[in-house]
Amino acid sequence: MKSVVEASEAVALAVKLARVKVCPMYPITPSTHIPERIADYIFDGEMDAEMIHVESEHSAASALIGSILSGARSFTATSSNGFALMYEILPILSGMRLPAVMAVANRTLAAPINIWNDHSDAVSARDQGWIQLYAESSQECVDTMIQCYKIAEDKKVSLPAMMCLDGFTLTHVFENVDVPEQAQVDKFLPAFTREDTLDVNNPKTFGPIGFPDSFMGFKKQQQDAMTAALDVIKKANSYYKKQIGRGYGDGLVELTDMGDAEYAILGMGTLCGTAKAKAEELRAKGKKVGVIRLRSFRPFPVKELQAAVKNLKGLAVLDRHISLGSNGPLFTEISAITPELKLFGYIAGLGGKDITLKHIESVFTDLEKGKQSREWLM
Amino acid sequence: MKDLKGINYEEYFASGHRACAGCGEALVLRHIMKAAGPKTIVAQATGCMEVVSTPYPQSAWRVPWVHGAFENAAAIASGIDAGLKAQGKREKVNLIAMGGDGASFDIGFGALSGALERGHKFTYIATDNEAYMNCLALDSLIMTKDGLKRIIDIGVGDMVYAFSQKNHKLVLKKCTGIFDNGKKRIFEINTDSQTIKATGNHPFLVLERNGRGKQSELVWKTVEELRAGDEVVVLKQGLEGKSHIFPKIQLSKKGDYKVNRIREVTIPKKSSKDLMKLLGLYVGDGWVRVEKAEIGFSVPKGNRARVPVKQLIRRVFSVDATRENENEVYLGSINAAKFVESLGFGKGAKNKVVPEWVFTLPIEEKKAFIEGLLLSDGYKIGNSYRYVSASKELLQTLRLLLQTMNVRVGKIHQQTKAKGTKVVYRALKKASTYGYICFSLKKGTNSKYRSQNKYRDFLYGNKNFEMKKIRSIERKRLEPTLDLRVEGEHNFIANGFVVHNTGVQRSGATFPYASTTTSPAGKKIPGKQEPKKPLPYIIASHGIKYVASMSPANLLDLKTKVQKALAIPHASFLHAYCVCPVGWHCKSDDTIELSKLAIQTRVFPLYEIENGVVKINQKVEKPKPVLEYLQLQGRFKHLGEEEVQKIQDYVDARYKFLLDMDGKKAFDVLF
Repeated sequence: MKSVVEASEAVALAVKLARVKVCPMYPITPSTHIPERIADYIFDGEMDAEMIHVESEHSAASALIGSILSGARSFTATSSNGFALMYEILPILSGMRLPAVMAVANRTLAAPINIWNDHSDAVSARDQGWIQLYAESSQECVDTMIQCYKIAEDKKVSLPAMMCLDGFTLTHVFENVDVPEQAQVDKFLPAFTREDTLDVNNPKTFGPIGFPDSFMGFKKQQQDAMTAALDVIKKANSYYKKQIGRGYGDGLVELTDMGDAEYAILGMGTLCGTAKAKAEELRAKGKKVGVIRLRSFRPFPVKELQAAVKNLKGLAVLDRHISLGSNGPLFTEISAITPELKLFGYIAGLGGKDITLKHIESVFTDLEKGKQSREWLM
Repeated sequence: MKDLKGINYEEYFASGHRACAGCGEALVLRHIMKAAGPKTIVAQATGCMEVVSTPYPQSAWRVPWVHGAFENAAAIASGIDAGLKAQGKREKVNLIAMGGDGASFDIGFGALSGALERGHKFTYIATDNEAYMNCLALDSLIMTKDGLKRIIDIGVGDMVYAFSQKNHKLVLKKCTGIFDNGKKRIFEINTDSQTIKATGNHPFLVLERNGRGKQSELVWKTVEELRAGDEVVVLKQGLEGKSHIFPKIQLSKKGDYKVNRIREVTIPKKSSKDLMKLLGLYVGDGWVRVEKAEIGFSVPKGNRARVPVKQLIRRVFSVDATRENENEVYLGSINAAKFVESLGFGKGAKNKVVPEWVFTLPIEEKKAFIEGLLLSDGYKIGNSYRYVSASKELLQTLRLLLQTMNVRVGKIHQQTKAKGTKVVYRALKKASTYGYICFSLKKGTNSKYRSQNKYRDFLYGNKNFEMKKIRSIERKRLEPTLDLRVEGEHNFIANGFVVHNTGVQRSGATFPYASTTTSPAGKKIPGKQEPKKPLPYIIASHGIKYVASMSPANLLDLKTKVQKALAIPHASFLHAYCVCPVGWHCKSDDTIELSKLAIQTRVFPLYEIENGVVKINQKVEKPKPVLEYLQLQGRFKHLGEEEVQKIQDYVDARYKFLLDMDGKKAFDVLF
C-alpha cells in the first residue's frame, strides 16, 4: 500500500508491523514524531502494545532490559542529548545480549545547543556493541526497521540494533512510501520467542558481576557476534528483497555508478542522495564518478569496502561528525583499511549545516585535481 | 514448609554468597525473599548485594533476578511490568525492585519517582545502610596486644606491637591516630617469608652498611627508595604469650528445650597444649554440628591421627569418644560442640581460619597447635613441612602465625588437582583447587662465629626481630590505603595483605555527623553535616497506597510488611534498615543489637503509611539515650558531648513529627 508519510511515521508504521509489544518512550526533537505516532496507534487501539511514559531516556533504555527479559519485543527512539543520557545503558544492553531496537533521529550534541542534524550522537557510541544501520530515505526506514528486528534477534547475533535516520532532513520530510502488508511482514519476521526470560518456573540470573577471569571472554563473544552479524545483515537484505521486493545494495554497502568509476564519494545517510544527484549530473558530462553509501557502520564491512574501492583513483570521505582532536571517524577507519588509496577526508553538515550540490561538486573537483582545497565544507 | 510463626523454611536468597560477616543487608534480603516466596522476580541495582550474590558463573538467587546499572532498578521493573502485561502474564507474579540508599535516595531517585507516578505494580525496597558501600574488603592484618586485627578494626587507644629503635626489642605502644590516605599506588614487597603491600612513601626500616669494620645502622627508607637485596627488619617471633582464658559460654543443661539427657564433660577454662593439638587436628579433619550435638573427626582406621585424636579427646574433655566407625571418630556432647564452635576456627573445610586469640598464646601451645595441624593435613618433605588446605584464609592466617614462631615460611601456593588424585590420604571426589604452604624450623647458628653471624644478620641474637633480604618489589595498582600513628615509636607491624579497603562514601541517607570517606571526621568539620533525606515521606507524597519501614530486629513485622506491600495492585515502597559492620565500624556480631537499639532509641522507628494513614507499629514510650546507639559504632567515635546532644535533639524532633501524624491521614492517596 502506497501512502505519503514522513519518515517518523514510516518508522512508527514499521514498529506496528513488527508487532512490538513494549515501547518505553521519552520525547526529544527531532525523534518526537515517532512516539507521537506510536501513541496514536496504541491509544486508538490499532496497536496491541504497552507504552511506558518513562521520565528520562536513561529509564527508557533501562526499561528495555526489563521488557525484553520478560519476553516482549521492544522499541524506543531518541536523539542527541537524550541519546547521551542513555549512553550508560547502551553497553549494558549489548553486554547482556538483548535484541533491543532503537530509532535514532540523528541530531548533534550540545553545546551550543542545536536541534539539527549531524551524526555525532550515534557515531560517538560506535564502540558500545550496537549494530548501527543508516537509512537514506523514508522507504528505507520502513524496510530497515523491520530488518533490524530480524538481524538483532538472530541467534548468531543477539545484539541490540539502532537504525539511524537524519533528523529533520529525513524525520520531518514527507515522501511516497510503499508500506508492506502485515501478512508479508509476519512471514518475514516471525513472533519474538526467547529461551532466556524472567520466568518464575525456571529462575535465572541476568546481569551478574564478571570478574577479570571471565570479563574478556564476554567481550570476545560480543565481537564474534558482531562479525557474524555481517552475514546476517546481508541475508536479511536479500531475504527481504525476495519476500517484499526491495533491497539496498548487499545490505552493508550500497554502490551507485561504481562499475567503471575512477573517483567516488563515501558517506552515510541522506547526504548520499545529494552526492548521487551530483554524480548523475557529472556522469552525463562523461566523468567517471560514483557514490558509496555505507549502510552498516557497525559491524564495519571491511571486505566489502575494500572491494568497492579497488579500482578507484581517489576517494573522498564525508563525515557528518568530528572526533575533536583527531579526524572524522569514518575517514580514520577507511584510511586504516585502504593504505594504497588516495584519500581525502571532509567534515561536513555539522549541526544542520546544509550539504549542497556545490559542496559535492567541489569535492569531485578536488578528487580530479588530486589536491584537497579544504577540509571543512562550510 | 513454615515454622510456627509463619516464616518460610525455604531459602530463595541462598547461603554461600560473599557478604561480610554480620551484614544486615544480606539478612534483610534473605527474609524479604522468604516472605515474598518463589513466584517473585527481582530487579536489583548495582551495589554490595549484587556483587556478593552473583559473581559469574555463580548466583545466590533462586528466583529470576536481573541487574542492569546503578540507578535503574525501578526503570527495569517498569519494563518487566509492562512486558508481562503486554503478554498477558502479569497475574500471580510478584515484582520487587531493590536498591541501596545510593540507588534509592540519590542517583536512582528520578527513576524511582517516575515508576511510582506511572503506577506500575511493583514493590520498591530501599535497603538503607546509610552510605555508598562496596564491600570486597580484606585488610592489612596488624599485630596487636589482643592478637591479629584488621587495620580497619583498630581504634585509637588500642595497643599495637612496635619495634623499639633504642634497644631493638618488641614493645607494645598505643595507637594514637588512624588516617585514611585515599587511593595510592601500591607496591608489593616480598621477602622469603613475608609479603606486604604499602604505598610508595611508606617507610621501612633498612640496614645501611657502612663497610667492613665500621658500624652499620638502621635507617628508614621509603618503598620507592627500596631495592631488591636491601635488608629490612622483620618480625621473627612474637612476645611470649599467656594461655588464653576462654570467655564463658551458655551451656546446655538437662531440662532445656529438647534436651533430655546430657553427657557430662569437662569444658576447658583456658588453653593448654593438649587442647591446642586437638584443635590443630580439628582444623584439618574435624567438624562440629551443634544441632546434632557432636564433634566429628574424619580419621580412618589405620590413619596416624586416629589414636592421638582419641587420646586427646579423653585428656581434654575427660570422656572417651562416644562413637566410631571405619572412617570417623565422634564425641557426642552438646556442650563440647558449643565450646568448639565458640572458639572461632570456622566450620566447613573452605571457611577455616586461625582465630585472633591463637596469636597471643605461649610458644609451646602454638607449637602444639601446629603439631596437630601437621598430623591431619600435613606431611614432611626433607627438612621442611608442608600443610595443605582448601581455605585460603586459613593459610594466610597460618602463615602469619608461623611468622611469629621463628620458623622459615614460604609463599602460599595454589594447585588444582584432577578428580581421583590422592591428596594427603584421600582421593578427590571432584577436581578441586587447594593451597599449601611450606615451612621449616631454623637451624641454630654456631656461637663460635658470632662476629660473622652478626655481620650477616645485624640483629643476630635478637629474640623478636631479624633482617631479611628483599626478593622483589612489584608495582601494583591504585588502592585505598589506611595508616596508623603509633605513640613514641611511629611504627607498627603489618604482615598481611592490603587488598582493597572499603568504599564508604556519604549518601543522602547518611546519618548526621557520621564519618564517611567523603564526609570524614575532620578537624574543622566533624562528619556529615546534613540530615537524612526523608525519602519515605517523599515517596508517600506520590499518593501510593503503602509505605513502611522495617528492620531485621523484628522479622515478623518485616514479613507482614513485605506481604502487604506485594498485595497492593499498584506501586508500594519499603524502607529497610541495614547495619553495615564494615562501613559503620561496628562489631559484626552487633548487627541485631544495633537494629534493636535503633528502634529503642527512636533512631529508626517502625511505622507504616497505609492508604495515607500513619501508624507507628512499635511505639517507644521510654526511649534509650541515642548515645547507647552511637557508641557501638566507629563512625561516630569522633563526636563530643555537644554533637551527641545535637543528634539526640534531631532524633527527638523527627520522632515527634512522626508521633504527631500517628493515627491520622497525613498523605493523599491517588491510586
